[in-house]
Amino acid sequence: MAQDSVDLSCDYQFWMQKLSVWDQASTLETQQDTCLHVAQFQEFLRKMYEALKEMDSNTVIERFPTIGQLLAKACWNPFILAYDESQKILIWCLCCLINKEPQNSGQSKLNSWIQGVLSHILSALRFDKEVALFTQGLGYAPIDYYPGLLKNMVLSLASELRENHLNGFNTQRRKKISLPMSAVVCLWLRHLPSLEKAMLHLFEKLISSERNCLRRIECFIKDSSLPQAACHPAIFRVVDEMFRCALLETDGALEIIATIQVFTQCFVEALEKASKQLRFALKTYFPYTSPSLAMVLLQDPQDIPRGHWLQTLKHISELLREAVEDQTHGSCGGPFESWFLFIHFGGWAEMVAEQLLMSAAEPPTALLWLLAFYYGPRDGRQQRAQTMMAYVMATCRHGDLQPCGQRRSPVPTEVARDETLPAHSPAKRRPFFPKVI
Amino acid sequence: MESLLQHLDRFSELLAVSSTTYVSTWDPATVRRALQWARYLRHIHRRFGRHGPIRTALERRLHNQWRQEGGFGRGPVPGLANFQALGHCDVLLSLRLLENRALGDAARYHLVQQLFPGPGVRDADEETLQESLARLARRRSAVHMLRFNGYRENPNLQEDSLMKTQAELLLERLQEVGKAEAERPARFLSSLWERLPQNNFLKVIAVALLQPPLSRRPQEELEPGIHKSPGEGSQVLVHWLLGNSEVFAAFCRALPAGLLTLVTSRHPALSPVYLGLLTDWGQRLHYDLQKGIWVETESQDVPWEELHNRFQSLCQAPPPLKDKVLTALETCKAQDGDFEVPGLSIWTDLLLALRSGAFRKRQVLGLSAGLSSV
Repeated sequence: MAQDSVDLSCDYQFWMQKLSVWDQASTLETQQDTCLHVAQFQEFLRKMYEALKEMDSNTVIERFPTIGQLLAKACWNPFILAYDESQKILIWCLCCLINKEPQNSGQSKLNSWIQGVLSHILSALRFDKEVALFTQGLGYAPIDYYPGLLKNMVLSLASELRENHLNGFNTQRRKKISLPMSAVVCLWLRHLPSLEKAMLHLFEKLISSERNCLRRIECFIKDSSLPQAACHPAIFRVVDEMFRCALLETDGALEIIATIQVFTQCFVEALEKASKQLRFALKTYFPYTSPSLAMVLLQDPQDIPRGHWLQTLKHISELLREAVEDQTHGSCGGPFESWFLFIHFGGWAEMVAEQLLMSAAEPPTALLWLLAFYYGPRDGRQQRAQTMMAYVMATCRHGDLQPCGQRRSPVPTEVARDETLPAHSPAKRRPFFPKVI
Repeated sequence: MESLLQHLDRFSELLAVSSTTYVSTWDPATVRRALQWARYLRHIHRRFGRHGPIRTALERRLHNQWRQEGGFGRGPVPGLANFQALGHCDVLLSLRLLENRALGDAARYHLVQQLFPGPGVRDADEETLQESLARLARRRSAVHMLRFNGYRENPNLQEDSLMKTQAELLLERLQEVGKAEAERPARFLSSLWERLPQNNFLKVIAVALLQPPLSRRPQEELEPGIHKSPGEGSQVLVHWLLGNSEVFAAFCRALPAGLLTLVTSRHPALSPVYLGLLTDWGQRLHYDLQKGIWVETESQDVPWEELHNRFQSLCQAPPPLKDKVLTALETCKAQDGDFEVPGLSIWTDLLLALRSGAFRKRQVLGLSAGLSSV
């Protein structure tokens, strides 16, 4: 007990000093410092309350002569009052100071002063006179309109931050409150429309640029901060869902596939850079696939020695085929989910094509299947078998063709070669039959 | 039902009294009873919130009371204003008592104990009141934080959060008042016009007219009973504006050109009257040969620049408004004698100014010099 009270005294001095520096938290520095310390301060307040509630008013003043000052300073700092339960605990502490039966004028004055502080905490804010008159004139009290006002202010702030964030430059309009990445993620986690708007903005950018080379797509994606934010599974899922919808709506447009592939690349990079704390199980990102498949696909094809390519591709093919052809796994969403997962990782399809074209030997069925699946996910077994046969013919006939693509380009064949994607190419709408054939 | 209404009346009186010096006669027991009463009424609110007839009856009673007390813009409501207020009548009572210096020491001590019993729930209702008050304090601070740090008035009024909030409140109140009787809203608006700061009121009306139609949102935290459709509220406002020429003239005069264009585009019923006003204003200007400009006849007339601004803004609106405006201008020009030379008819000059402005704009944008309509 004695130790506790010594600790409390030390803390008391510390916080008294802090509060004096913060004052009403009207500068950026004091605001930031307050925000960094609010949680700890609340803990201190709790401890204070525990100590104060055992004493009567006079004992409190004896023990902590400057307690009034401390509490008042805290009450004049809106950042403290707005945090969690701090306002409640402050009120409790103030109540401990009230004298039930004031014996002298000093005690009466204290009571009166406490009443003033309590009123201040709960009183209506002084807006422009006109606004106050308006709301009163309509018969509304602050308790009626604070929720609506807060909602409007936050929405307005959120859209301003989004604009600033996406535009990437300081608008001269107003004092810019820039948020660190963690805060943007917080916003997106709490307010789905903000995240959706960020994605839509990205889509708009991609659509509106006349010629999108992969490098530019990568720039747009990185600027949006979405890959980084997507390290958080909830955000990844929403983003992925929007990609899924876009893909379905455009009937598998190559541009969308390219975007997904670039995004996934950036996402994997961000994931690797993210601190250990953020590591979530693969299943949280890809709930519809087996973890083993996800793990294999997430590997960087570059990390695999050339000699092992065939093996790895066969493995992928097996796993995918299993997922696709196994009808018992009802929850997995069928072939589309597997295909959707696969197209995230463009490097593999490219590797398959390269293997097929470069090796002189008879093409392994597994690879043929993989390629056929990539380009025809909806094909039935027979159709796919026919396609695979066609590939065999093609590779036999054009065995000496140059392999396609640069190393990391995720988009297969012709498109990869010149690294540009025309904005509208109806001929390339469906990912069926590569140009090689 | 009648006893319920009487309870309501009595509590409303109590609430009114709680801000007066009369509370100096209250002892702790009185305070406790008052709070219990408030709790009971809050319970009523919860119970009958969705019950149409009872709720309507209660609401009507409260509205009548409010009107009789000289409400509608006369300052803070002494008693309860509406059904929604019933939902936090305990908070309202608590706040008034807390702020009232006339309350005796013993009574105040007891009040504070009741309001802030501390951690550890004793009974459900007490905790709710403590939580409500804590939440109020928290929200107040949040608004304070956002308002006084980093908030600037949005130049687009319809996107300004304070304006939007006021507009939402106006629409909500209009809807309530409208449910009572058909011609109530108009009278309500007129009394507001007489009592409230007019400039702000006009801005709020404009913003209210631009609110997007609300879709049914399941997470609406306010009462689901009130179906907030700005559509109805807008209609009432438009109707009222059209029926009050003095107000509408002030409306068109006080608000910025861009805002008025948006409002008129959205509510086509307003455009003929707006155009009529603009033509009236235009006709008041005369040409000063020496200075070579159009000047006001009297000091309160609308100057050329402002007139031009408004027409320019209207010409940037999407059709059909844009076409209507141009047609109106052409008609006026024709009526004036169809001059092509400047200095003779203000309409000619306006059209010339608008065209050259448009021409310059197209040049700047690198578009062809072809003029389609302007």
